[in-house]
Amino acid sequence: MTAVRAPSGTRPAAEQTRARYPDAEGYVERDGVRVFWERYGDGEPTVFLLPTWSIVHSRFWKCQIPYLARHFRVLTFDGRGNGRADRPTTAEAYTEREFAADALAVLDATGTRRAALVSLSCGALWSTLLAADHPDRVDGLVYLGPAVGLAPPHPERAVHSFLEPLDTDEGWARYNQHYWLRDYRGFLEFFFARCLTEPHSTKAQEDCVAWALEMAPETLIASELGLLLCELESFQRQCRRIRCPTLVIHGDEDAIRPHAQGAALAAATRGRLVTLAGAGHLPQARDPVKVNLLIREFVESLGGTGR
Amino acid sequence: MRAREPDSEGFVDRDGVKLHFEVLGDGEPTLLLLPTWTIIHARFWKAQVPYLARHFRVVTYDGPGNGGSDRPLDAGPYGFEEQARAAAAVLDATGTDRAVVVSLSMGAQWALWLMANQPEQVLGSVFIGPAVALEPGVGDLDPPFDEPYTSTDGWARYNRYYWLDHYQDFLEFFFGQCFTEAHSTKQIEDSVGWGLETSPEVLIAEHAGPEPDDATARGWCAASRCPVLVIHGGDDHIAAPRHGRALAEATGGRLVVLEGAGHIPNARDPVRVNRLIREFAESLPGGGPG
Repeated sequence: MTAVRAPSGTRPAAEQTRARYPDAEGYVERDGVRVFWERYGDGEPTVFLLPTWSIVHSRFWKCQIPYLARHFRVLTFDGRGNGRADRPTTAEAYTEREFAADALAVLDATGTRRAALVSLSCGALWSTLLAADHPDRVDGLVYLGPAVGLAPPHPERAVHSFLEPLDTDEGWARYNQHYWLRDYRGFLEFFFARCLTEPHSTKAQEDCVAWALEMAPETLIASELGLLLCELESFQRQCRRIRCPTLVIHGDEDAIRPHAQGAALAAATRGRLVTLAGAGHLPQARDPVKVNLLIREFVESLGGTGR
Repeated sequence: MRAREPDSEGFVDRDGVKLHFEVLGDGEPTLLLLPTWTIIHARFWKAQVPYLARHFRVVTYDGPGNGGSDRPLDAGPYGFEEQARAAAAVLDATGTDRAVVVSLSMGAQWALWLMANQPEQVLGSVFIGPAVALEPGVGDLDPPFDEPYTSTDGWARYNRYYWLDHYQDFLEFFFGQCFTEAHSTKQIEDSVGWGLETSPEVLIAEHAGPEPDDATARGWCAASRCPVLVIHGGDDHIAAPRHGRALAEATGGRLVVLEGAGHIPNARDPVRVNRLIREFAESLPGGGPG
């Protein structure tokens, strides 16, 4: 596969100032696709904040990085499709295997022998795969609002086709590739309003929409088609191979992925489930203190392991 | 739920009107966070109290008419002199000889009174978005406050009859004007909630209390001797930034304009405001730790 630069029409947002800047950064390249990583702090062990769906990039961890880096060594990276990573155009470039292989390459490039993995939403697919295939590299798994097919989706999301043209733009009909090409911002504003259902989420919504505008709808379509290639059966097999401790954090008001999916993942990985009352799909943005304390407590419970 | 609960609390009694105060921390010096307009109560300092109490001793109280204080319906307790004397009474009740006085909006009037009339008790004064007239004609309302309203647009809602008819709508309008910054929905919701803890009848009584004229306020400024810091939002729609500049000039104080900030920057720029208050308090003679 070949690396493709950002299609015309996308623009890098003027970056806001950060509470903390990385101590090191760099690129790793696999099959011509480069992803961009950052390292913060030098505590033990390493906490690896994974990418999620390419619609946002690693700044979605902005409320976690400054806190966790005071206690641990923190790695994160822009997954393929957004941020400072390349933007391949084929669906096959966006499967869970590619994201997991990128994450492994970042561990290698940063000299990281082992890490606790933290994922959000469909990041659960690649963190699970990485832990199943490389148990010697993974100390533990934290899942936030995991997007996994272990329980049925919200009924309103099962109505409309993603691929076929629709005769309506109402509600979840906007989760449709033709609509994305027609009114990308309209989709983004709808989608992140559903992600961030808590009152007083205007800043978090504005951030997410701006990050999504750093990529083009064509790239987002490719990434979505890549996710559609992921199979439930193989995911269930990976879950059975997980041996490390797991923690699932899921909002009971998550309008993107039902709480039942997080509960099923906790059961499938024999992990702990923490339910956040009133929280939506992005609790790392809207309940950062709670989420940070939970991550810290979990990571410290794993016992120190040198990198 | 609060980030920090008070270490002690109590009441002062002003001619039968009980005012609720709280004390937090034990650093030096003491910061007296004054109340402001009766429309909100001492929780408007919620983004200041936990931080400042880690470095200083902090005293806050609810003025008459809201929060944990009584809600008198006569104008007496709301006049500027009684408001200022109530602040002095809180200092006495909390065993505070001297304090840095921090005020928001119309609290500036009571801070200035203290600076001019009880200078030995005021180590320094921080004004945030001060609403005090140093020029004539400020605060005149058109249309008038006490006549039936004929319009419900904008500031026409600043009217006793409108308040009695549509109190919550007025609150939402007013705090929308206070918080002009993006992403202020939480601060607006907080403030409307505090406004709903009092009543239009109380605000009408407060409105009848005397306010200082510009000559009186200029006299206070001329009499004041303590260090002064004025923090003013560059986009303040309630008290124009020129009033903060005039107050800094009249008191020989330092002016910090927060670009893009509205009338209540302590709520929307708390880190910036907290650091400015701390830096100011630590710079005062005898103001540092120990």
